[in-house]
Amino acid sequence: MTESFESLRRLFSDAGYGFVEPPIVHPASVFVELAGEDLRRRLFLTNAPDGTELALRPDYTIPVCLHHLANGPAKRRADYAYLGPVFRQRPGESGEFLQAGVESLGRTDRVGADADALKLALDAVAALGIRRPAIRIGDSALFGAAIEALDLSPPWRRRLARSFGDTKRLTALITRANGANGNGSIAGRQERTAARRKAAGLLEATGLATIGGRTADEIADRLIEKSVIAAGIGDRPARVLTQFLAVTGTPDKAHAELSALAKREGIDIAPTLARFAERNEALAAHGIDLGRLTFAADFGRRLDYYTGFVFEVHDRARPKVAQIVGGGRYDRLVSLVGDNGRAVPAVGFSIWLDRAGGSA
Amino acid sequence: MSGPLILGVPSKGRLQDDTLAAFAGAGLELVRSGAARRYRGRITGVPGIEVAYLSAPEIAREIGAGAVHLGVTGRDQVEETVPDWQRRAAFAKPLGFGYCDVVVAVPEAWIDVDTMEDLDDVAADFRPRHGRRLTVATKYINLTRRFFAGHGIADYRIVESLGATEGAPASGAAELIVDITTTGTTLKANGLKILSDGVMLRSEAHLVASLAADWDDRQRKALAGLLSAFKLGKRDTARLMKAVADA
Repeated sequence: MTESFESLRRLFSDAGYGFVEPPIVHPASVFVELAGEDLRRRLFLTNAPDGTELALRPDYTIPVCLHHLANGPAKRRADYAYLGPVFRQRPGESGEFLQAGVESLGRTDRVGADADALKLALDAVAALGIRRPAIRIGDSALFGAAIEALDLSPPWRRRLARSFGDTKRLTALITRANGANGNGSIAGRQERTAARRKAAGLLEATGLATIGGRTADEIADRLIEKSVIAAGIGDRPARVLTQFLAVTGTPDKAHAELSALAKREGIDIAPTLARFAERNEALAAHGIDLGRLTFAADFGRRLDYYTGFVFEVHDRARPKVAQIVGGGRYDRLVSLVGDNGRAVPAVGFSIWLDRAGGSA
Repeated sequence: MSGPLILGVPSKGRLQDDTLAAFAGAGLELVRSGAARRYRGRITGVPGIEVAYLSAPEIAREIGAGAVHLGVTGRDQVEETVPDWQRRAAFAKPLGFGYCDVVVAVPEAWIDVDTMEDLDDVAADFRPRHGRRLTVATKYINLTRRFFAGHGIADYRIVESLGATEGAPASGAAELIVDITTTGTTLKANGLKILSDGVMLRSEAHLVASLAADWDDRQRKALAGLLSAFKLGKRDTARLMKAVADA
């Protein structure tokens, strides 16, 4: 195993990534705020003497972003690599295990950076002795472009966007969006004023007016949105999205199908499709056989900082083992960690070394 | 674990009174005995059973750990406290007391929120507006996580509440709560309302068998005796005896 770790270190260093070793212990809130409550049950938690909740890092991505922010301007170009222990509560498995990976921050040639990341991940998988990798790719930017082009109401757009990655939920949502009666009238200014007054009165009466939670305006706005939601999204968008999500196959075939779908239904997603094609070409230029990749239009991660390209690698020889590599583009993460709202291009991947096992 | 069957019984309050009454109804008299009589006891005329007096959450925990064979505790306690409870515990019989609902309650002023789906929209919208996640105060961390995940809600965080959960929204500690209620009066008095599909669990005190405990022949025989005293049906008895034998 040590030998293959050495070859990984060499591989990442030769590709221009600098190894970092960020702290193991962080405030738990860093992880919970970013990844949500669902991650917390997998964290190893403890308390500082002052009561602050601390966690052992469950991955490297967030600690590497913190390291990046602590050592210079957020937008600068930096390529980081890591290899070391991460900690997650896993029933029946060791809670401490090794991950290796890279994070490439600040590269504005996103298509090239995406292709480089997948290429390096596949080289790493080969170095670990996995001969028959199953490689799955997706791109949430395509889904984002589709719902943008369909001219949906903002609340429906948000609902659909945040369900992307959970196809069962998304499909059910589309069915319901289509089934909505569409007869309900959209509430107007008068209704909003009345709702605002009512909410303000109740906030006052229950002592919540000065707490800093949801305001009367927020509540009134959303009440209007509810009438928009009740109006549904209509037949055509539901049909287009259903067909869109079903597209799967090699990247070339998927590109052809998505182009045909866009043309047939008259939705303009041409710029995003062009970037998709460009990335496929860049992958081919790296010597990656596109016939070995499986694109799925519904493949994404339900973490709101992932913004585009995603990929994962399984071992065909051991189909029961979970993903060995998970990677993708997360342009929103650095700004969420740094709290400055400005997107920083970022792409990377992690290898679950405990699952790699090829040469163990 | 050889020796007597260990029966976990609530050590105080209303829950203990109701438990003693339920056992009395089954013709069983619990008496405290021995040197550690504050914590230990037996059942008059029934050999092979030792009674351990514990708090309701302790009983649930010990059932999960296999340190008691059988216990009286709420379904809410078992589902919250015992990891992997479906494999570690078996509900033998509801006992007809200790009723409570575990519910999701939000401020009455949220006139736009009636359902969990509404709450999902609000949670997703909250962080961009307020720069932090929507916060839920509760003692029922595991139940809340499972229920919210089942409704696809990801944009929230939990603060653990150690008492008077219903006051958390008014104090600013959380935007909403998950708590137990019997009549809803306390929630109402605190300006909170229950979501229409926000009842996570309808709970009641149960006789609960531990599947994590070791069961020998004598202990299984003692269990069969208790189940028969509680007039558990033939099929339910067979199902439970099998679960215990396989444990």
